[in-house]
Amino acid sequence: MACARVPLDEQQVTEPGPIGKERTLPALHPDRKEERYFVPYRPPPENGSPAEVEEFLEHAKFIAEDMEWLLALPHDKFWCQVVFDESLQKCLDSYLHQAPRGLDLATLPLSPAVADVQRAVHKAIFLTFLRMATHKESKDHFFTPAVFGEIIYDNFLFDIPKILDLCVLFGKGNSQLLHKMIENIFTQQPAYYNDLDETLPTVLQVFDTILDKCGLRCEGATAMEPMKLNAQKQPTAMSMNLEELGDIILYLCDSTTTIHAFLDIFPAACSSFHSHGFLSRLPPFYEAAVPDLEKAIKKRNFDDKSLQEDLWKRLSHSCRKIVETSHLLLHHTCLQPILEGQENMQTFAEELLQYFTSFLPEKRFLVDYDELFPIADDVSLLQQALPVIDETRTSYLLQGVESAWDSMGRQRPLGHIQSEGVS
Amino acid sequence: MSPPRLTGALRSFSNVSKKEDPVEQLYDLKTKRLKRQELFAREGLTWQKIVHFCSEHQDKAASQELKSLLQAAKQIVGADHGQEAIECAAVFLFETFHNKDHVGTEETRAIKQMFGPFPSSAAEASCACVARLVAPLGDSRVEDFIQTQSSRHSAQRGSSFGRNIAFSYDFYSLDPLEDLQESERVEQHF
Repeated sequence: MACARVPLDEQQVTEPGPIGKERTLPALHPDRKEERYFVPYRPPPENGSPAEVEEFLEHAKFIAEDMEWLLALPHDKFWCQVVFDESLQKCLDSYLHQAPRGLDLATLPLSPAVADVQRAVHKAIFLTFLRMATHKESKDHFFTPAVFGEIIYDNFLFDIPKILDLCVLFGKGNSQLLHKMIENIFTQQPAYYNDLDETLPTVLQVFDTILDKCGLRCEGATAMEPMKLNAQKQPTAMSMNLEELGDIILYLCDSTTTIHAFLDIFPAACSSFHSHGFLSRLPPFYEAAVPDLEKAIKKRNFDDKSLQEDLWKRLSHSCRKIVETSHLLLHHTCLQPILEGQENMQTFAEELLQYFTSFLPEKRFLVDYDELFPIADDVSLLQQALPVIDETRTSYLLQGVESAWDSMGRQRPLGHIQSEGVS
Repeated sequence: MSPPRLTGALRSFSNVSKKEDPVEQLYDLKTKRLKRQELFAREGLTWQKIVHFCSEHQDKAASQELKSLLQAAKQIVGADHGQEAIECAAVFLFETFHNKDHVGTEETRAIKQMFGPFPSSAAEASCACVARLVAPLGDSRVEDFIQTQSSRHSAQRGSSFGRNIAFSYDFYSLDPLEDLQESERVEQHF
């Protein structure tokens, strides 16, 4: 057992070596890890044979048992295992990669035995990550904060994809704990903000890829180039095969849910997303992709009506998540600083109005946004916080919103009209 | 196969994750079982201790049952294993069946997790042997013997991290803006 009241990264322990002779070594040392052989996680089989179910149960029970053992280890032994046992890292990674998300579970019938062991593994994996994100477990068991930051970063115990996976897998009912975990990770190791910045172009690329796959991307250099006469026509949502359409919608659904879960749990990341221009990219994407994909789901011939229903739900869910994400970004980067009375309120107000104005041409997005988060309410808040706001501008904006509703042939919910009337 | 995911794309196309070695060796179930057997063997309860405990208050009948238990263990673990592995398997069977009167699903699963597929007759035989061995000794004495000898029963009694944390099993679920039928009705209306 390592000695107390000294950070783990500075502790030394004396214990018998491989040939029985006592030796002193750092408390965090590869020789102190146990050979345990954590097996990688595999997801429950879909409509599996009894043999496949049995294999899943066996795998999952090994993991549940090993995680229980790991969580019961003293602080120093836990960290030796976490840092030096590659099989443990692979096991944790495999769970984040392969565990069914809530959105998958609706289509996955689980027997009680499978559901029980899956729940046990789910909880144990979360607790393991929670312990890994805790640099001070008690007054006797802690790390030097800077060293903790180095350990988790240099050993890839956490990285941006893992953090996103954690949010989407565990965020629904554990958002407060996850918020504390992620906040601590980013506080102790600010390099994660750089990693987030590095990752965001790839996140944006997801939306471009979807537009490309649907034959909807025509801006930029490619649109300027004349098309070869013998060039193959890009498939569209109507013409591509059904499996590909399904994959695009699943990808969109997963991406939008993951991004929203992350920003909802860790709003401090909103500024990174904001600086990468998400608010300029999401509405045009929505405007271009959503009507096309909706039309394809409605008009194409589905032998399996439940698949059609499922794809529609996933697309509609993605729409909600894009709108909610846009609102989160606007709220945390523009509106919140105004409501908190920060400096440069005028600049934030200007930016907010500019974003709302930029939404005006994206009528479908604007109407869906306004339905969930009435723009008139935000304008009213703005007018209360900053009475000097140009009224001509706000009137123009609100008229634009109204005309978007008219041009979409949709009726505004009654409450919205009333709230606009009051303002 | 898991569906396409954002984090999958990020792992493939960004530079912020550990790049996995393509020739990595993943532990399979066979390796895992061997490791579990090895760990079990270090838990303190040994064949010699069981032999001593059972023979102390019994006559030659115990010796016969112990031989039969070893024989059943040999069938479960496989004939190509050495005496040490067979004795270790016999210890496991003794611990598994000391308070059972038949081979249930849990016991079958526990044996399979430790040794892989096995002949059910060997499990039945070992269960019967253990029952005959412990019958004259009394349940509480056998229980005490196992509790005091095996480190597994005493070591992990301490507090486990997160024991008092309220964990939620809630999942994000689909939350569509509108139903397909609803959307079609609106379309027809206009």
